[in-house]
Amino acid sequence: MSTSQSTLVAAPAAAPATAPPSPRRRRVRPTRWVGVLFVLPATVYVLVYQLVPVVYGFVLSLTEYSPLSRSGPEWVGAANYTALLHDPDFGQALLVTGRYVLMVLPPTVAIALGLALLAARPFRGVGVFRSALYVPHIVSLTTVAVVWLWIYSPNGLVNEVLTTVGLAPQSWLLEQESALPAVAAMRVWKALGSNMVLLLAGLQSIPGELYEAASTDGAGALQRFRHITLPGLRPILTYVVAMDIIFLAQGFAELFILTGGGPLASTTTVNYLIYTEAFQYNGFGSASAMAFVLFAFIAAFSFLSIRGVAGRRS
Amino acid sequence: MQIPHPPTRRSVLALTAAGAVLSLTACGLGGPAAPQADQSGSGELTVWFPGTNTTEIELVTETIVPQFEQETGAQVEVTFLDWPDMSTKLNAAFAGGTAPDVFGHGPAAVADFVANERVVDLGPFLDQLDAADREDMAAALPGGQVDGTQYLMPLSLQANLLVYDADAFTEAGLDPDEPPATWVEAAEMGAELTERSGDRITRSGLLLPTHPIGLQQSFATLLYADGGRQLSEDGTTATFATPEGEEVLDYITSLFSGEDAVATGLGRDYSTLPPSQQPLVTGDAAMMIATAPQVQQMMAADPDLDLRVAPPMSFDGSTDPAAFGGAGPGLMINADSPDQELGWRFIEYMASPEVAVAYTEGIGAIPMRASAADSGYVQESETLQAFLAAAPAMVPNPNVPGWVQVRDTMAQHLERATNGAVPAAEALRQAATEVDDVLAKAR
Amino acid sequence: MSRAGVRWSRLALLAATVLVLVPFAWMVSISFTPEEQAFSSVSLLPAEPTLVNYVEAVTDANLGRAMLNSLVVTAVPVLTNCVAAVAAGYAFALLPFRGSTALFYLLLSTAAIPTSVTLIPLFLMAKGFPLAGGNDLAGYGGTGLLDSLPGLMLPHLVMTMNIFLARQYFSTANAELAEAARVDGAGEWRIFRSIYLPLSRPIVAVIAIFTFTGVWDDFLWPLVITQSPEVQTVQLALAQFLASGTVRYGTLMAGAVLATLPVLVIFLANQRHFVSGLADGSVKG
Repeated sequence: MSTSQSTLVAAPAAAPATAPPSPRRRRVRPTRWVGVLFVLPATVYVLVYQLVPVVYGFVLSLTEYSPLSRSGPEWVGAANYTALLHDPDFGQALLVTGRYVLMVLPPTVAIALGLALLAARPFRGVGVFRSALYVPHIVSLTTVAVVWLWIYSPNGLVNEVLTTVGLAPQSWLLEQESALPAVAAMRVWKALGSNMVLLLAGLQSIPGELYEAASTDGAGALQRFRHITLPGLRPILTYVVAMDIIFLAQGFAELFILTGGGPLASTTTVNYLIYTEAFQYNGFGSASAMAFVLFAFIAAFSFLSIRGVAGRRS
Repeated sequence: MQIPHPPTRRSVLALTAAGAVLSLTACGLGGPAAPQADQSGSGELTVWFPGTNTTEIELVTETIVPQFEQETGAQVEVTFLDWPDMSTKLNAAFAGGTAPDVFGHGPAAVADFVANERVVDLGPFLDQLDAADREDMAAALPGGQVDGTQYLMPLSLQANLLVYDADAFTEAGLDPDEPPATWVEAAEMGAELTERSGDRITRSGLLLPTHPIGLQQSFATLLYADGGRQLSEDGTTATFATPEGEEVLDYITSLFSGEDAVATGLGRDYSTLPPSQQPLVTGDAAMMIATAPQVQQMMAADPDLDLRVAPPMSFDGSTDPAAFGGAGPGLMINADSPDQELGWRFIEYMASPEVAVAYTEGIGAIPMRASAADSGYVQESETLQAFLAAAPAMVPNPNVPGWVQVRDTMAQHLERATNGAVPAAEALRQAATEVDDVLAKAR
Repeated sequence: MSRAGVRWSRLALLAATVLVLVPFAWMVSISFTPEEQAFSSVSLLPAEPTLVNYVEAVTDANLGRAMLNSLVVTAVPVLTNCVAAVAAGYAFALLPFRGSTALFYLLLSTAAIPTSVTLIPLFLMAKGFPLAGGNDLAGYGGTGLLDSLPGLMLPHLVMTMNIFLARQYFSTANAELAEAARVDGAGEWRIFRSIYLPLSRPIVAVIAIFTFTGVWDDFLWPLVITQSPEVQTVQLALAQFLASGTVRYGTLMAGAVLATLPVLVIFLANQRHFVSGLADGSVKG
C-alpha cells in the first residue's frame, strides 16, 4: 500500500516545499467534458436539495411569514434586513458568535494537530488512543451538554477540583465573564476528535519518502515539520478550519442547554436568535433574514480562511 | 471501509434528475401549503401529546387510548412531543399542512394559534356539559381562554408556591407551623434562615427562580401579590411599569445582592436539575418557589425531608393573597381536522373526572378539577392538598398573541435590573415600551 | 522513530485521552447509577451499580427499533456520499471543464447556510416528493416522504463538504497516472474506478465516518418530519429522557452510551484501515 500511496500523491514538496505547487497545477489542462458526467449526480442533487431551499429561504427573508399563517408569506421587501441594522440584539449576537468562534477554533486546531502528530506514530495500541479521543465527537451535543452542565454546577467536578486545591468555587455559567469561555471549553473538547482524525488522514497523505529524504539531508524535527508536514497538511487544514468556522458559527444546542443564551445575552449567538425568532416567535421571515446575514459572514470568513490557510491558490 | 460498489452512473443520474425536476414542480414555492386532500370523517384521530413523561406515556397509550377506542370505535394515533421541541414540530407541521387533529401545548402558545385561526372554539362543545361539570373545572378553564373564548382544555393546574424545609425552620428558632403570611415577612424569615461561611452564602434563606423564564414568573408572582397585573385587561398594553412593579423588582434584586442578601445563585435554573440536586434537598436553600411535581420529586428523592407548602401570600399585607398559576398544558383541536366532533370526544374523555385524576396522578401534577380533592391521589398528599387549596388565588400569565416574545422581552429587562445594570424603574419602562410594540405587532 | 520518542508519545496521548474521557467516564458511571443518586456525588464509581437504566432505555424509548432505523437512515447516505461526492470531488480536481471551478464554489457555498433557514423549504419539498406517500406525479395529494425512512435520508445524500474534502484530496494526487492510463486507451470511468478510487481509501474512510456521525447525530430534521414511533431515530429516542421537569439522567446516559457504541464500532473498523497505509509507510522510516 505504501508504494502505491506515494505514487498516488504527487509530492507537493518534491521540490523544496517553499516553492508553491500552484504553477504546476495552473498549467492549462484540456477541458474534459467527461468531468461533467462525474459531477452531475452530486451537482443535480445539491442544486435541488441544498440550493433550491436556500433560494426559497432567501425569498422568505423578504417576507413576513408565520408558519401558522394561512395566507402564506407576505412580501415586505428588504424590511427584515433594514430592521436588523437597527437591532442592537442582533449586533450583540454577531459579536458573541465571533468571539465564540475565536475562543474555540485556535485551541481546537492547535491541540488536534499536536494529538494527530502524536497519534500518527505507528506503535502498538495507537488505535485505542485514536478511537478514545474521537469519542466526544460521536456523542450527541445535547447529551454531552447535559454532562457538562453538571461538571460546571456548584458542586460539580470543576468546583470540586478548585476547592481541593484551596480555591473558591465559581458560578461558571452564570457570570458574564466566564459563561462563554466555559461553553467554548466544552466545544473544544467536543471538536478535538474530528479535527484530529482529519489531520491524521492528512498526515497519511504525505509520503514517507519525503521524510526519509529530509532526514538523509540532515533536517531536524522542527525543519521537517515546517517544510514537509505543514505544507503537506495544507489541503486538509484548510478544510478543518473552514468546517470549524461553519459549524461553530452555528453554535446553538450547547448554549440552549448550558446557558439559555444568558447571562444578560452574553452567550446569545446569532443562531440562538434565529431559533427563537423562527420557532418561538413564529417569525420565519425575519429569522431567514438573520440567517442570510449569518450566512454572508460565515461564507466570507471561511473563504478568507481558505485563502489564508491554503495560500494564494483558491 | 469497503469501497461500496457504485451503482451505474446512469441509474443514479436518472433517479436524481427525476426526483429533482418533479419535486420542484411539486412544492409550489412561495405559496401557502397545499390543503390536505386525504382523510374524511373516518373515525381516525391523530393526537400530539405534550410531554414525554414515561408514566404519562404508559397511561395514555396503554389505558386511556385503548379504552377510548373501545368506547368510540375510533382509531387514535398518539405521538408524544418533548417540551423544548414542541413549537418547532408544530410550526413545521402547520406550514406543511400535516398538523394533527388534536394537539397539546402550554397556555402561553394558544393565542398565536387563535390569531391564525388554527384552532377550534371549544365553547359550543363545553356548553353541552352540565353546569356543575364546568364549575368543577372553573380554576383551570380561564387559562385556556383567549378574549373570553375557550380554545384549550387544560389537563392539569400549574402553580408556583413557596415551599420550605420545616427542620430548617425549627433549627433557626422559627415555628414550622407558622409560614410567612406576606412576601415581606418571607424575606425577614429568609434572613434568619440564611447561613454564611465568611462572605459566602452557604444556604439561601429565600430562593426565587431567576433564570430568564423563572425570573419573569417570580416577578409575576410578586406583582400579583402586590395587587398588580402584567398587562391591561384587553391585553394591548403593559401595566407592570408601576410603583408596585418597581417595588417587587427591587425586592428580587435585594434578595441576591448587598450585605443583607439572603440568596445566592442569581440566574441559575434549578428546574432542570435532578430531584436529588434540588437546593432544598442538598441543604443549599431553606425556602424556595416550586411547583407541585417538583415538591413531590424532592420528597421522593429524600424521604427524610419535611417539606411544607405555604399558602398564597400578599406582598405586604395590603392586598389579597395571590399566586402565579392556573391552567397547565392542555389540548386543542386543529381547525382543519375533518372530524372535530371526534376530537372533542377525546378531549372530553381526557377531562372526565376519573381519567383526569389518573392522568395528573401519573405526572404528579395538580388535578384541574376541584372534585379531585376527594380522590385518593390528593387525600394521600398534603402537598397536593395545599396546591389544590391555592387554586382560587391563582392568576395565570395573560393569553395574548405574541406572549412568548412578550415574556422573553420582560425577562431580558428584568435580568438587567437584577444584575444591577440599570435601576428597576428604567428596566421596567424600557420593557413596557418594547412589550407594547410586540403586542401591537402581534395583533 | 526512537524508543524514547514512542514512550513520550504514548504518555502524552495517555494524558490527553484521560482528560478527554473524564466527562465520558461520567456518562458511563451515571448510566450505571440509580436515578435517585444520579449526579449526587463526584465519585466516578457508582456506589450501587445497576443495569436498570439500560433496561429502561431499551424498553421505554424503544431504543432497539430506533437504532435500527438510524442504521438504515445512515447507511444509505454513507454509500451515496462515498460514490457521488467522491466522484464529483475527483472530477473537480482532475477532470476540469469550463466553469468547473465556479460550479464547485457555488456548490461549496451551500455548506455554510444555517440549517434553520432551509428547514421549512426542505420540509415542503419532502412533502411534495412525487409518487411517494400517496402523492401524484406533481407531488400533490399525499404526504410525500414525510414520516418515512427515505424522507429522513433526503437532506444527507450528498454533503457538499464531502465534495470539498474529496476535491482537496485529489488535488494533491498524481495526475500522471491518469495520463498514462489514457495513453493506454482506458476510459475515464475506468481510470477513476480502477486506479484512483482504490487508492483513496483514507479519504473515503473519513467521508464515511463524517457522514455517519453527521446523520446519526442529526436531530432537527428527524424531529420535524417524523411522527410515528416506527420511524423514530436514536436522537429522538434519547430526547424523550430530556423532558423538562422530569429529566431522567441515568436513562439518558445509558441510552447515550448505547447510541455511541455503533458509531464507535464503525470508527474502530475504519480507522484500522487508514492506519495500515500509514503504518507501512512509516515503519520503514
